[in-house]
Amino acid sequence: MKDLKHLIYFEDLLQEAHNDLIRQAQEEGKKCIGYMCENVPEPLLNLPGCFSARLRAPRTGSIDVGTYYLTSFLCEYSRAILERALEGGYNFLDGMVTPDGCTMLNRCVENMELLNAAGKDKENFFWDYMEIPMKADYNGLNLYVLQCKNHILKPLAEKYGIDVSDEAIRKAVAEHNHICELLRQIGDFRKLDKPTITGYEYNVLCLASYVAPKYLIVDKLEETLEELKTREPDDKPWFKARVLVVGSEVDDTDFIKLIEDSGAFVCADRFCYGSLPGRDPIELTDDEDALTQICRQYMYRGECPRYMNTEKMDGRREYVDKLAKEYKADGIIYQQMKFCDPWAYEKMMGSHILRNRYDWPVLAVDRPYTIGSSGQMRTRVQAFMESIDIKKIQKED
Amino acid sequence: MAVKKFNKMVNPEKIKGDTRYGDLYKPHGKVRKRREWRGVGDTLYDYSRWLGIMLTLGKFMSKPRNIKFFFRYRWMANYLAVPMMVDRFTQGLRGEYLRMTHEEQDLIIIDVAKLLNTMARADRRVGNDEEFSKINVLVDENEMTAVMMGFPNLKCTSRETPSTYVSVLLNQHAMEHYIDVAQEYGLPGDVCPMPEAEAGVSIDDDAPVFGACAVQCNTTCDGSLLGNGVISERLEKEDGIPVFQLPAPLRHKEDDVQEYAAEEIRRAIAFIEEHTGHKWDWDYYFECAKRVNFATKCRNEWLDMNKTDYPQIFGGNLALYTETNYMAICGKVPEFERADRRLMKLAEKAYKKRKMAAPEYRHRAIVWGVQSHYYMDFLVWLLNCWGIVPLTDMLSCINTEMIAETDTPENREQAYYDMAMLTEEMIMRNRTHGGYKVLLDDLFEFVEQYNADMIILWEHITCKALDGMHGMFEDRARELGIPLIWVDHQLFDPRVVSRQGVRDQVNSYMRTVMQEEPLDPTLEVLDDENSW
Repeated sequence: MKDLKHLIYFEDLLQEAHNDLIRQAQEEGKKCIGYMCENVPEPLLNLPGCFSARLRAPRTGSIDVGTYYLTSFLCEYSRAILERALEGGYNFLDGMVTPDGCTMLNRCVENMELLNAAGKDKENFFWDYMEIPMKADYNGLNLYVLQCKNHILKPLAEKYGIDVSDEAIRKAVAEHNHICELLRQIGDFRKLDKPTITGYEYNVLCLASYVAPKYLIVDKLEETLEELKTREPDDKPWFKARVLVVGSEVDDTDFIKLIEDSGAFVCADRFCYGSLPGRDPIELTDDEDALTQICRQYMYRGECPRYMNTEKMDGRREYVDKLAKEYKADGIIYQQMKFCDPWAYEKMMGSHILRNRYDWPVLAVDRPYTIGSSGQMRTRVQAFMESIDIKKIQKED
Repeated sequence: MAVKKFNKMVNPEKIKGDTRYGDLYKPHGKVRKRREWRGVGDTLYDYSRWLGIMLTLGKFMSKPRNIKFFFRYRWMANYLAVPMMVDRFTQGLRGEYLRMTHEEQDLIIIDVAKLLNTMARADRRVGNDEEFSKINVLVDENEMTAVMMGFPNLKCTSRETPSTYVSVLLNQHAMEHYIDVAQEYGLPGDVCPMPEAEAGVSIDDDAPVFGACAVQCNTTCDGSLLGNGVISERLEKEDGIPVFQLPAPLRHKEDDVQEYAAEEIRRAIAFIEEHTGHKWDWDYYFECAKRVNFATKCRNEWLDMNKTDYPQIFGGNLALYTETNYMAICGKVPEFERADRRLMKLAEKAYKKRKMAAPEYRHRAIVWGVQSHYYMDFLVWLLNCWGIVPLTDMLSCINTEMIAETDTPENREQAYYDMAMLTEEMIMRNRTHGGYKVLLDDLFEFVEQYNADMIILWEHITCKALDGMHGMFEDRARELGIPLIWVDHQLFDPRVVSRQGVRDQVNSYMRTVMQEEPLDPTLEVLDDENSW
């Protein structure tokens, strides 16, 4: 296929946590609020006057200092983020909001706070921690709303005079939804029998929407969508099988690239930093305040394994099954960042249930934060492709 | 904050009987060469308590149903090591110390025997007493049982307590099989082995099946929360036992989570009422609340005593007893109140006499972090081998506040918040969650309060909450100039760090950094790898 016009532009954006668009937005007087977990309602950090940046540590090298503070048993994501913070890589931030989602991210940010490793010399910089519900129900919703008020809206209003009114929140949701709808439409090209976008390309676009001010990438996404409408797929499929990738935090586009280089097409992305359900639009009605509606939708659609009630646990596996069917997957790859406790369990249970109860071919793997060109992972994916092939042949027979 | 220098204290009283404890170990053996000689009086006392323990075990095994239970469940074999466990915890103790430890340990043994008896009777595979099964509410191993304080006629039963938690206290190798089962099923080896082993028991279908319903809690950590999912999958989908998940907020020190926590308590109670048909009894709740307060008062006094030069109730016994009394008992068993009184009497008596538990006290230490379950008697070793007094440990530094104990309309409402507070501040999670202050800052406050001159920091290597403060502990200790000894372990799995591996970390530090010689050199290296 012909290269996408803006792909290199988006790839460049992902080379630095403090990318050019963040600089541009801050020069325009906007405040940049960092976060690290999908359980923080993104539109609340994108109210008029501020924007969100989900933290990554691109081009991570040594994480020795991060390892000294957090030991080698915490996931490499948390260690890489702390290392980058100590190098001064997040001094551009104007505030940091952290939910007690998983222990490791929480500890990572606590260390950053103790070591004064972000927003240095920014007088109004704030660190705030949120409790987020572990069950999706009315009580969880009450908690979520209260926590968002106290730990996101309150510091934004007090520290930076951000308008946190219902009207402002609705405006932010409208902008958020526009990006989501663009990405959803772009993502739908992955459902085609001859897809006109690769999993890698989509991953780059989607990831950029988490780490750059959204209003500054809208035009490029719109152009990309138009381009895809007329993009010609290759005559012969370039992949052996379509796979759905499920699991923990992935902000390394090389991981998706590696899977695709091994003969698979990543037709859907159900992982933190992915688009399913992270880029589902938020539907608002006029009969209830926007904050409550946002929290409700984040809570009920959240696929984080920390949700512990049975309906949510079952729902996670049903959702994967639904996505696999919708995106015509041939198999499912459950991936987990090494040392991630929540996804260690979810990967184990999910892979067994999807394999035995839903009859999907499943590959379960763990991986480091940045995978580079891991031969081991490549071999696993290639073997999985072969096993899917064999199953297909057996079914045909 | 300045760390005070501690001058060595020598016990004016001679320790009777054996003093070279390492000589009692048999190379490669499961048990020791012989029982410890403690002088005539103490040996006779110890022996009488040993007979009492054997009687408890004998009584349990006298029921054919329990024999069947014993052979059905693999982990039951570990209970052969009960007397040995008590011997490990009483090593080197004489007089009041020996009596206090037996008060604690023997009561825990009786309580666990009752629990096993309950399980054998109710278990569908063994006793299959259906009516009896219906009055059992299952809870997690590490779950605060405050929500059961208003159900006098229901039994609050933790299947994981005897199958995993107690088993590994009895036999260091007890959980290796279940850890392997979980890993063979696909769980990585880098998660905490406690929920991993519990999941392994469930995957292996080696948990008794009974109960009207179950209440699970996110209790200590991400692993614990997620491990519950493995267990509930079998409980709900195969055994047909309804499960309520009780989420206790992680940032438990914040005011804006308390209403959420209290509402979850209300819902848990409503769930239990719905599935058992039993109604909440406020009279019984406030009766239990009084006992909870009494236990808190006693614990506060013991800890205050430990701030003086003559600590009395400390070390592994304090941790184990506190964990049982606070979490599993939670005011529901009057016998524990009576034991508290007896312990208080003994402690006061010893304190007045300025008794010391070892020939010398060389260092006063705060023990922090999560202790190794396969080597919980390590603190006894620490005292006997190096003269380091473990003044208090992280698990014993729990709630110090009184809860409402009189029945008034206001207190009935307050009770939900009290139960929520007890649950949120459950042992371990009250320190490993709730922000860095409760884990990091509080440690150094305790160092000052207790006049400690050393920190023993258990590093349970796969406990992410503790690991996540590793560097800050190190930095802070260095700034304050207080010796901090890291003691790595893998909680339930001695294959990763053996008991000798645990001891070697202290041995190396004491010899190389502190430049000291052991109090009892026979304990420095022990051949106990095969031991129970």
